[in-house]
Amino acid sequence: MMAEPPTHARAHSAAEHAGHDHGGAAVALEYHPGLPIPNGKLIVWLFLSTEIMFFAGLIGTYIVLRFGASTWPVPHEVHLSEPIGAFNTFVLICSSVTVVLSLEAAKAGKTASAKGWLLATLVLGGVFLGVKAYEYNAKFSHGIYPWRPHSRIYEKADLNYAAAVRTRLESLKSQLDGEATAIKERLAKTPPAIEKDPAAVELFEKQELVDNLVIYEKDVEIKAATDPNAAGARAALDEMASLIMFHNEIETQATDPDAARARAALAKLVDHGGDSNGAQHEGLNDEHEWLKLPVVIPGGNMWASTYFLLTGFHALHVLLGLIVFVIMIPMTLGVMAAGLVENIGLYWHFVDLVWIFLFPLLYLF
Amino acid sequence: MSEHGHEHDPGGGHDDHVGIAKYIYVFIALCILTTMSFFTYSSYWPFHEQPNIGRSFMMAVSCTKALLVILFFMHVKYEANWKYVLTIPAAFMSLFLLLALVPDIGMRGHWLSEERRLHMAEPRSKAPKPVLHHGGSHEQQDAEGPAAGDKAR
Repeated sequence: MMAEPPTHARAHSAAEHAGHDHGGAAVALEYHPGLPIPNGKLIVWLFLSTEIMFFAGLIGTYIVLRFGASTWPVPHEVHLSEPIGAFNTFVLICSSVTVVLSLEAAKAGKTASAKGWLLATLVLGGVFLGVKAYEYNAKFSHGIYPWRPHSRIYEKADLNYAAAVRTRLESLKSQLDGEATAIKERLAKTPPAIEKDPAAVELFEKQELVDNLVIYEKDVEIKAATDPNAAGARAALDEMASLIMFHNEIETQATDPDAARARAALAKLVDHGGDSNGAQHEGLNDEHEWLKLPVVIPGGNMWASTYFLLTGFHALHVLLGLIVFVIMIPMTLGVMAAGLVENIGLYWHFVDLVWIFLFPLLYLF
Repeated sequence: MSEHGHEHDPGGGHDDHVGIAKYIYVFIALCILTTMSFFTYSSYWPFHEQPNIGRSFMMAVSCTKALLVILFFMHVKYEANWKYVLTIPAAFMSLFLLLALVPDIGMRGHWLSEERRLHMAEPRSKAPKPVLHHGGSHEQQDAEGPAAGDKAR
């Protein structure tokens, strides 16, 4: 008995002889796909191959920008937490397992189980996005944005930086003066004494801090404006930047007695007896978040642009996956839907794959 | 959806022998590898002074993790040869994209104008540059440090 020819051979042969098939029975042609996979899976893979190029372009740009830069911020300067990044990696790895278990359950016809695993994937994806939102919030609250006017990042402590600090202090001073007038008007109508009112006490403390900063900043700015290239002036600017956002100990450069007194009062606010590594040191911006003074983070602007671009696009992909999960969960995820689960699973694994590279590149490099 | 009614594995797809146990082993391997990456952050990592060792290590770990996900979770290990058609050209395009950026962007620091250099960010550890106004040499002021340079002025 002869072996049966393959399907494509049959179709080919039928098409070839159709022209001189006189009076014979009609041959039913059989469709056969170009690749031995379903169309849906082929489309997902084609989409993923464009996604490979998309993220490779973004990650490649990050690598080239980062290693071609004269300086790049260390994670702590930009408020990145390595353990949080590792936790999010773990969450995505778990979600990859749950989605593959959902596929196995769907293939075995265990609809409820497939739905459960998909729900678990949805929850894990939600956790990932929640942690990412928390991380973004930490950056935003420290003035780390990829664009102005929200961004308070300056590349170096120079005269422009001092002017930005002065502008912010002037705005704070007028805001606090307005609040003080309101409090005085209120207390004039309903005593207790002004020094016993908690809001008034807090306001006076804020005013004292801002006044000290104004005196100190003025001294630094005059020094910088007189001779911006002088080593002493640059050291004074560095010292002010370090007082606002700590990076290392700098000997005081204040020579004017009032400025020296103001500087000593400010230094007392941020000095908690930290160790030589500066582990316990914090700047004025950390101690008093309402200050929102401009900060010096060398390379910080480029860092912010690349960080938000990479993690933002990745988070959008996660969000898209979650939307598809939400649509799929009410469906019957049996054998007939296994292909669909496989396709979304492929996409989800790719999202995990991108994070596998982003985690070390952004948090540990 | 395809014309096959249901999409799953008409031929050349992955087999059912990819058991759940295999997924669990891959998951454990991925967790261990993530911990290995994170180890470079800890104080026990012996090469903090040579960051390139840590970076190479992390990239090797990441590539291993990526391979595990691609081969087992994405079932590429069990797919037919079509997988090469879709993945290899994309991988090459990615590589070319990266290489194309190197001359203009990656090596931009090699041909900076003096003005650009003046305003660009400097590493924090870099000491303020003293500028000569009142005689003496750069070397002498560099040796004296910023505070000494300021006093001289």
